[in-house]
Amino acid sequence: MQDTGVHLREVRKSFGAAEVIRGVDMDVRRGEFAVFVGPSGCGKSTLLRMIAGLEETTDGKIVIGDRDVTDEDPVDRGVAMVFQSYALYPHLSVYENMAFSLRLAKRPRAEIDEKVREAAGILQLIEHLDKKPGQLSGGQRQRVAIGRAIVRAPDVFLFDEPLSNLDAELRVQMRLELARLHQKLGATMIYVTHDQVEAMTLADRIFVLQGGHVQQSGAPLDLYDDPSNRFVAGFIGSPSMNFFDAVVEAQTGQGVTVRLTGQPDLPLDIVLADPPAPGTEIVLGIRPEHLAVTDGEGLRVTVDVAEELGGVSYQHGTLEGGDAVIFQQIGARHEMHGTVQTVVPEPGRAFAFDRSGTRIR
Amino acid sequence: MSKSNRRRRELRTAALLTAPFLILFSVFFLYPTYKVIALSFTDSPLIGEGNWVGLANYVELFNDRLFYTSLWNNFYFVLLTVIPTTVIALLIALAVSRLKGRTQALVLTMFFLPYVLPVSVVTMIWSWMLDFQFGILQPLIEAVTGKPVPVFKNPYWVMPMIAVVTIWWTNGFNVLLLIAGLRNIPADLYEAAALDGATPWQRFWRVTWPLLWPVTALVLTLQLILQLKIFDQVYLLSGGGPFNQSYVVLMQMYREAFQLNNGGYASAVAMVLFVLIVVVSILQYQLLRIGGRK
Ligand SMILES: Nc1ncnc2c1ncn2[C@@H]1O[C@H](COP(=O)(O)OP(=O)(O)OP(=O)(O)O)[C@@H](O)[C@H]1O
Ligand SMILES: [Mg+2]
Repeated sequence: MQDTGVHLREVRKSFGAAEVIRGVDMDVRRGEFAVFVGPSGCGKSTLLRMIAGLEETTDGKIVIGDRDVTDEDPVDRGVAMVFQSYALYPHLSVYENMAFSLRLAKRPRAEIDEKVREAAGILQLIEHLDKKPGQLSGGQRQRVAIGRAIVRAPDVFLFDEPLSNLDAELRVQMRLELARLHQKLGATMIYVTHDQVEAMTLADRIFVLQGGHVQQSGAPLDLYDDPSNRFVAGFIGSPSMNFFDAVVEAQTGQGVTVRLTGQPDLPLDIVLADPPAPGTEIVLGIRPEHLAVTDGEGLRVTVDVAEELGGVSYQHGTLEGGDAVIFQQIGARHEMHGTVQTVVPEPGRAFAFDRSGTRIR
Repeated sequence: MSKSNRRRRELRTAALLTAPFLILFSVFFLYPTYKVIALSFTDSPLIGEGNWVGLANYVELFNDRLFYTSLWNNFYFVLLTVIPTTVIALLIALAVSRLKGRTQALVLTMFFLPYVLPVSVVTMIWSWMLDFQFGILQPLIEAVTGKPVPVFKNPYWVMPMIAVVTIWWTNGFNVLLLIAGLRNIPADLYEAAALDGATPWQRFWRVTWPLLWPVTALVLTLQLILQLKIFDQVYLLSGGGPFNQSYVVLMQMYREAFQLNNGGYASAVAMVLFVLIVVVSILQYQLLRIGGRK
């Protein structure tokens, strides 16, 4: 089997004077499930559409497999795309929607029928083949859109927020189906989403985009465990990481001792290979799940909102200095609303960033 | 409040809201329609009383050679205008919808401009342009046929030229309707089609055409009704001549009513045209709907 990875080199895109994609390099390997995440307007869709060939590439190179497709027409790139709006042809039946590309390619009837029925079988659409898209539910429409892509047997599947129009339950179900589909087809897939959980659960590799750059890429847990800057640290993980201003007090053998601004009582030891000088202002990042309630010394948090989800709860509060804090509790009901709690970070679980957001390691 | 009370209040509101329309409709449409029907069974002049003559007017009409000439000319005119104007409007709409922003607005305005002109101005412009001696279009005609043609005095040229004038005059409206229809087709359908491998030609026939069909059917039907009612342009450009080659049904009605003072007979002409338009347009719309559903 030939290489069907997707490789971008120094890819740029401008709309008029506005540069939206500012030099993106990425490699999605064959059969990999890649996910683009990032805040709204960061250019995820634009990048995906550039790979599909629906947007022209201003500069740089897009390679699919071993072919440079930068200037090729969408149909010649061997990609299929599933749109957020589904983009089903409303005047055609489900069957004809899926058969559309094969009919255009003038494939024999028997082959069309076989492929459409096979895809419909995978997606449980057999009994809906004669319906028009208007007569289907959201989830069924979504499956037709995916079916239309499958029928073409593309090297690369592109998904632009395919589940965002579905309700929560259906989203979970479709997410699983997508994961199964990926295992079954083994094709390269690139998936755009807003949704943390979708990204973490589906991806072999996540690309975090912001400001037209790839901020970091890697396996979901690598990004979670080892974010390379404050943006990625804040973006991956839900609820997002707490950030506190802090000052380096002293260098120790393996790192530094820091104090949070406004919390003079609690010195924290951070392990760093390349410790900054005493007096340096840094930012400390601690995930909600790494703040534990204690009876001893710690950060005093006034809890004002408690989100009890049953298995876990998220306690939202403020430090004495006024900084917002979230910490997580597991297990029993805690009734912490309105109380003052003392929390300490788990040792070795705090990340240090400089004031510009770069990770200090 | 009781249910019947509430119902009564709702009814009163409904009556109040519909009354203005119902009154205007009755006074200016229903009553005249009734009058025309009644008139068509009498021998009355345009103004004043007449005698009941039963179906005599209709019998006379169906034996009137001129009526058949007019009918034929009406159908000829429909043939010359309805489908051509729709096709031209569609081509223009497709072209205009590719333009962006201000250019699009400007071009659209230019195509729409003739539509706002009164018919007298339109016919004046075209009689000048086609004037036998001085018309700026005569050199063009000469280049094609070898000699200048007095188009509105030539039995072969008269109907086609009136059709050209009519299309030029009314096409902007059709363009507008079709543009609105085109804008309703989501852009991502075209993107999906491009990814599916559709050429521009296939994109038109497999996406645009079927999705635009309801609007196209509407334009065709509106045009059919409008063009069956042809009168002004004929009256102003050729007066029905030469040799009755541009004589149309409404022209005949006009002459009978306002020049020969045969109110009864003219009403019979009007009734026949009315029924004809209703039947033909319902028929066409049904046909088009079936065609669209296929
Ligand atoms: N056709 C266009 N013309 C001009 N600017 C555009 C165009 N398409 C997108 N942009 C701009 O490019 C930027 C990125 O848009 P894009 O749709 O890729 O964002 P996104 O990351 O997909 O956001 P979302 O998560 O909200 O879908 C936005 O600032 C947007 O305004
Ligand atoms: Mg998007």
